Amino acid sequence: MRGGQPDAGPLRALVFETLVRLDAAGAPQPCLAVSWQHDAAAKRWQFNLRPGVKFHDGSPLTAAVAATILAAALPGATVAAAGDSTVAIRANRPLADLPLDLAHNGWLETGPFRPTAFDPGHRATFTANADYWGGRPFLDAIDVQLGRGLRDQLADLELGKADVVEVDPIDLRRVQGGTGFSRSVWSSAAVRLIALAFQPDHPSDPRLREALALSIDRAPMHSVLLQKQGEPTAALLPQWLSGYAFAFPAALDLPRARALSNALPPAGRTLTLTYDPAMRAARSLAERVAVNAHDAGLAVQVSPQNPHADVRLLEVYLTSLDPAQALAGFAAALGLPTPSTGASLAALYESERKLLEGFHAIPLFQLPILYAASRVHVDAPPITRLGDWRFADVWLSGTAP
Amino acid sequence: MTFRTRLLIAFAIAVVVAVAFVGAVVSTATRRAFERLDEQRVSALAAQFHQEFLRRQREIAERVKDIAEADSTRDMVIALSRPDADPSAYVDAAQPLAAAHNLDFLELISVTGSIVSSAQWPARFLYQEDWVTRGTDWNAREPFLKREDLPTDTALALVAVRLASVGDSKLYVVGGEALDRDFLSSFVLPDGMRALLFREPQSIAGASGPIPRTAPLAPLIDAVRKQRRELTRTVQWSADAVDAETFHAIPLIGPGNGPGKDPGAGDELMGAFLVGSSRGPQVRLERFMLRIEILVAAGGILLALLVAFWTTARITRPVEALAAGARAVAAGDWRTQVDVHSSGEIGALAAAFNQMTRDLLEQRDRLVQAERVAAWRELARRLAHELKNPLFPLQITVENLQRARAAHPEQFDEVFRESTATLLAELGKLRGIVGRFSDFAKMPQPQLETVDLNGLVRDSLKLFEAQMQAAGVALRLDLAADLRAIQADPGQLGRALQNLVLNAIDAMPAGGTLAMRTAPHEGGVRLEVSDTGQGLTQEECDRLFTPYYTTKTHGTGLGLAIVQSVISDHAGRIGVRSEPGKGTTFVIDLA
Repeated sequence: MRGGQPDAGPLRALVFETLVRLDAAGAPQPCLAVSWQHDAAAKRWQFNLRPGVKFHDGSPLTAAVAATILAAALPGATVAAAGDSTVAIRANRPLADLPLDLAHNGWLETGPFRPTAFDPGHRATFTANADYWGGRPFLDAIDVQLGRGLRDQLADLELGKADVVEVDPIDLRRVQGGTGFSRSVWSSAAVRLIALAFQPDHPSDPRLREALALSIDRAPMHSVLLQKQGEPTAALLPQWLSGYAFAFPAALDLPRARALSNALPPAGRTLTLTYDPAMRAARSLAERVAVNAHDAGLAVQVSPQNPHADVRLLEVYLTSLDPAQALAGFAAALGLPTPSTGASLAALYESERKLLEGFHAIPLFQLPILYAASRVHVDAPPITRLGDWRFADVWLSGTAP
Repeated sequence: MTFRTRLLIAFAIAVVVAVAFVGAVVSTATRRAFERLDEQRVSALAAQFHQEFLRRQREIAERVKDIAEADSTRDMVIALSRPDADPSAYVDAAQPLAAAHNLDFLELISVTGSIVSSAQWPARFLYQEDWVTRGTDWNAREPFLKREDLPTDTALALVAVRLASVGDSKLYVVGGEALDRDFLSSFVLPDGMRALLFREPQSIAGASGPIPRTAPLAPLIDAVRKQRRELTRTVQWSADAVDAETFHAIPLIGPGNGPGKDPGAGDELMGAFLVGSSRGPQVRLERFMLRIEILVAAGGILLALLVAFWTTARITRPVEALAAGARAVAAGDWRTQVDVHSSGEIGALAAAFNQMTRDLLEQRDRLVQAERVAAWRELARRLAHELKNPLFPLQITVENLQRARAAHPEQFDEVFRESTATLLAELGKLRGIVGRFSDFAKMPQPQLETVDLNGLVRDSLKLFEAQMQAAGVALRLDLAADLRAIQADPGQLGRALQNLVLNAIDAMPAGGTLAMRTAPHEGGVRLEVSDTGQGLTQEECDRLFTPYYTTKTHGTGLGLAIVQSVISDHAGRIGVRSEPGKGTTFVIDLA
């Protein structure tokens, strides 16, 4: 395979590249395409390919090959080669955000590392691509252990068994307070949504759901448990992506929560809340939610991995930089109805508001993906906004850059 | 009921009452002794509770003080006092400290009252515990009772507050132990005793966990709530007294958790320590003793009754002899003498009885003799009275004959003839008088045969029809048609009826009405003979049947005596009712 739509994940960017990449501010920057133009209506686009780029199999990146791969990634658009190094894209509607779309669509296997071994769920090995258009990576190979818990990853880091691990905000102080090699923490944009989701097949009183939502005091959890990473939220989409997340009130309203709780029959004031213990901060967050609910007169029983629980504490990853697609992804993950699609920001806001108005899902926090690195030297955090690894320019202590 | 039976019953009642009284006294004394023993056991355990409570207070205060003075705590105080302090760094600090110092509860609270770390409920970080900031001089205060909220429950805790301070920086260390099953398990309890812990609002648990039934303890709990002092009550767990238990309740009072409460000022009942002592062994022993008492009492009563039976027999035998003698006297045997050899009152009574019967015999003999004399005197008086009238003409007539023979011989024959006629007439009267007396004396026994009383009445009335007509007496007959025949001597009974009819006619010299009625009466027959004469007084009625008593100027006083004699010989009764001016009615009842 020389291109397509690989599974989302931090390793994707080691192997695959897109025509455009986003910088730290989210602005499109040249990658496999060195430049692009469009007409006034933004219906016709031309992307000029970087010369000298080769796929991992050694074949050159041509406009024809790129057009074929992009055509599959851009349904509704006509993609064709316009010469050896230019790809033309046309559509019947304006494609104003096409560079943004192409930052996470149309993946081409031209990345700085080649996958050399893959044991699903256990291990993946990548070796440096000597023919990489940006020059051979400093690292010879990357050995990735898959399916390892965050706690174990942290131990691996502390024991020097790993150079880069994913960490949970709850462990940040431990990472930063460690001794030995200097450690750095890399943070993606807020792409993890922590939310409570009522089971769709469990009928619940709307007053109960609202009372629970209004009883939650997010600030202490954010400052203590999450070490002020990310942001408290009552919206599904992060502020940086939608721009309107602040319009969803996340403030504590204990009097109203108590009033709603008191209106319920005593037997209707109980809930069971479950969480995935693999999520490091989940237990602490769930128990804090139970404490907050207790203040409102609700009895919330917390238990891990309880399939019969009324409410689940979930973490959902942002899967697309397209707000509409991202919203649909969150809705599906939380068991909410599929939102209606709309082109405008107002329509998007309205869709999200309707999704949340019944309190079937209660967003709590938008968190970044955090990586802790030891012995790793880099000029800038080598991860994308979505947390993808860009390790082409990374080197380790003791190795010459 | 005989005197002996009464005496036996009285004796039995006295014995039973005495035995019951003694049994009750013994039972009460035994029960009180057991209760005192039980109270002593309960008091000992209550004292043990107070000692254990004090010991735990001291230990908790010491442990919390150790935490407050530890270097790590002082470092924490310093770190939290910095301008850029991050309390979240210590959110997990309490649990290892609590475990290391063997405390069930430990909270580290900032000077503002915000929880930095909570061992018992870690998720309550940054919650406010304002009560701790209101207290002063915590280091000098004894540990106190406090209700601790837990994620799924509320615990009753004995907590101490100590202040960790470095310079002006402070941190409150609040630590304590739960008053729970472990606490109850620390007591050494003898058999039959147990310790329970009541926690408001309604949790009651023992060392082995919550007890299944709490309702029987509710009155004691309510009393402790109201009176706030140590109380002792007996709790019935079932209808069987063996299941009863004596509970001594020690109220557990603390400051409460409400806003504005002064921590350390105990004013809220948070629970109670309950020392229970089973009454089962005591009740079983009491029941055993009661059975023994009943057996002993029954044996004693039986023995007492046997003795009483023999004693009453001895006591009542002379009385029974006296009673038999009295009955014999009442039956007419005045010669009865009782054979009683007894001293005292019974002997005197028997002697008096015997003397009484002897006196009665003598008096009766004297009375009979007196009555005989009186009767002879009456008879003589009557005879004299009756004979005196005919004798006087006889004397005059004989004297006339003598005088005529001497003075007028020529007229003697004439005088003789007249005088003899007079003599014969007067002698006839004398014979009549003598005949009536003879008839009264010669009343024969009645010859009974079946007699129709109505017919006898009609036959008797026929003899007096002319006399009644001459006297202007009307007759009214009211004879019952269904009157049954009676057994009677028709001659004697007819003569009695004739006497009554003649008596009635004599009572109505100016005329009137003679009424005769017959009717069935009490299985026999009744005959009433009424006149409308001037009637009789009550005194006359009382003496009417006395021989020789008469209200008439020419009567012998034997008519009604003969009637009473005839009726009596026929086993009948005769009575009279009369009022002056309203006539007289004779009533005869015959079987």
